Amino acid sequence: MIYLDYSATTPISLEVLDSYNKASKEFIGNPNSLHSLGVKSKELMESATKQISELLGIQEQELIYTSGATESNNMALIGTALHYGKRGNHIIVSKLEHPSIYKICDYLKELGFEISYVKHEANGLVDFEDLKKLIRPETILVSICNVNSELGIRQPLKMLRQIIKKENPNTIFHSDMTQALGKIPVNVKDVDLASFSMHKVYGPKGIGLLYKSKMVHIAPLIHGSSKDSELRPGTPPVPLIAAAAKSIRLGIKDLDRKETFIRKLNEKITTFLQEYPKITINSTNYSIPHILNISLGTIRPETFIHALEEYEIYVGTNTACASGELSSSVMAIYDDEDRASSTIRISLSYLTTTEEIERFMQCFKIVYHRLEELQ
Amino acid sequence: MKKVIIIKYGELTTKKENINLFLTTLKENIKQKLQEEQVELTYDKGRMFLIPKKEQFDSIILKLQEVFGIHEINIAYELESLDLEEIQKTIFSLLKEKDFKTFKVETKRSNKKIPKTSLEISRMVGGFLLKQLQDKRVDVHDPDIVIHIELRNTKSYIYFEKVTGLGGYPVRTLGKGLLMLSGGIDSPVAGYLTMKRGVKLEAIYFESPPHTSINAKNKVLELSKILSKYNGELKLHVIKFTEIQEAIYKNIPHEYLITIMRRMMYRIAEVIAIRGNAKILVNGESIGQVASQTLTSMKAINEVVHLPVIRPVACFDKLEIIALAKKIGTYETSILPFEDCCTIFVPDHPVINPDRKLCEEYENKIPYKELIYKAIKNQEVIKVTAKNSNDFSDLL
Repeated sequence: MIYLDYSATTPISLEVLDSYNKASKEFIGNPNSLHSLGVKSKELMESATKQISELLGIQEQELIYTSGATESNNMALIGTALHYGKRGNHIIVSKLEHPSIYKICDYLKELGFEISYVKHEANGLVDFEDLKKLIRPETILVSICNVNSELGIRQPLKMLRQIIKKENPNTIFHSDMTQALGKIPVNVKDVDLASFSMHKVYGPKGIGLLYKSKMVHIAPLIHGSSKDSELRPGTPPVPLIAAAAKSIRLGIKDLDRKETFIRKLNEKITTFLQEYPKITINSTNYSIPHILNISLGTIRPETFIHALEEYEIYVGTNTACASGELSSSVMAIYDDEDRASSTIRISLSYLTTTEEIERFMQCFKIVYHRLEELQ
Repeated sequence: MKKVIIIKYGELTTKKENINLFLTTLKENIKQKLQEEQVELTYDKGRMFLIPKKEQFDSIILKLQEVFGIHEINIAYELESLDLEEIQKTIFSLLKEKDFKTFKVETKRSNKKIPKTSLEISRMVGGFLLKQLQDKRVDVHDPDIVIHIELRNTKSYIYFEKVTGLGGYPVRTLGKGLLMLSGGIDSPVAGYLTMKRGVKLEAIYFESPPHTSINAKNKVLELSKILSKYNGELKLHVIKFTEIQEAIYKNIPHEYLITIMRRMMYRIAEVIAIRGNAKILVNGESIGQVASQTLTSMKAINEVVHLPVIRPVACFDKLEIIALAKKIGTYETSILPFEDCCTIFVPDHPVINPDRKLCEEYENKIPYKELIYKAIKNQEVIKVTAKNSNDFSDLL
């Protein structure tokens, strides 16, 4: 099997899985219980929280455990909107967000919020001038993802923060950092709120994080009785939390070395694709090498993916969360329906081998010619 | 150019007779503290020199700032000569990376064979720099940067910044003491101040399960862990006090509960101290803070023991103690809200002026010698270091 859909999800690292198993077996107490089993679980959870906070450079009270990035995004956007709704009803998002952000925005529109979509440069970077123009006194929130999930375009968050805070110091800045963590160095302090998902960094499915600066308030979406986690009550999933701590620790190790290797693989495929004049590369100069997005021209991407699957090769369309639709990111940048309807995403990992890429290119060639002839 | 860390110790140099004991102990304490770092430690009159094998000055300096007996730390550039021309040139090149407008040169020379005096050297180097750096000025009162030159036997040192150390005496030079550690704000501070005067600590903690919880004990372990940063390994004696406390509660008029309880604690502490060769008892009592800390109470409680009882925070206001607790890092742990021995079974009106005769009369209602013997026999001893407790490294 050759797995090239690491941006949809990653296989859990065996070391992380060990932690999950061990914590599940040995830390059975509810961390909210008073007895020693509860205390033991709580100690493990607190150590994990401390470790994650240190790795992300934040304070422990600024970390909230969620079920994944979609929940984190919901908490960040809706929570901010509900809390600061009296101050203003205007929210700005980019056109390169994860589909969950757009769904949340649709919901917020129903609640009476006004959503603006900031323009992009041709290379995918947010148009600074347009952003400046859009920010108004009643703009309570800007949400721009750190790395786009379809094209891998990386936004300069520090500069965006400066622009936003200069125009309106009260505007809160959220970033979905799901595709950034474990691929590039993330600087959480560039934003006020940040979403993460552990299954994108070789961690377990079912756990995510929300960073919330202690200077920012959000309204809780879930109500319950835990006093330690008012924003996300409920029995904390201690084994998932321990596993999360380990996956982050391992995930952000040796980023430079991993990136250099992945960049070489990416260049290999890009060079290979130059032989196909009908194929266009959608990734731009600002895309990270882990994500290579291309359009197949007239070939339907679903057919292509299934054909590759016959060789046990697995690649993605747009994002896993919006498969089968037009690629909104490609539409946003290239404004070309044909191009946006024929995209596939090849996402690479440090686990990918050069042999796998060789084999992928061989099979790609066969599949492409076979399907091309049918056009 | 070689970078070294210079360690200076102020008050120690006045100890003429015992200087060797002080320095050997300091050296051992530093080595112990830096056992995970790769360093080479050398000693020269009035200074120690640390040569890190790797560029890891920040972490080493943070650790040195937890060692008593060190008054000042410098990161210095070492030259293998005393040649003033070379020193000047080196300073000039080092200054290129610095951002400043005004400067001052300060020289120390322990090598008196050098023909120029310290002042003359400072003037000479200052003059040279003024000529080279047209836009900079000398300001002897409030300079942006102070250039320190130290000339020793065969080597010279240049540094720009001074890091203040903790001061005090190296822990262990004055022997051992037993700290009565409760989990509150005061006793860890009392422990810190005692260590500062060169006393190595052991600690004693009284627990009363099931009336007190594992959380309360963990809190004391956490406090011990913080104190062990300064003390080195801290031996913690955990005494099960339940039986004594219940006996007191059942048999003794409630206004005397606290007084008698404290007398029992003192007695146990003294036995543990003597067995461990500790010369003093240390606690966090502060005059007048609570009923058991009035002068009459202190007298009634103190008289059951013969060892000196040191109360470093006796004359501090609560706010002063809190400020110190925050500085040494125990405050956040101390304020965690778990019941300890002293907060359960609290009478509504504890006696403020306890009577010695009554204390003795009441105590004799319970077989306290037996109970004390049993409690000491069943003590749990935990060796606490800055690292242990909650090691989840395999899981995380």
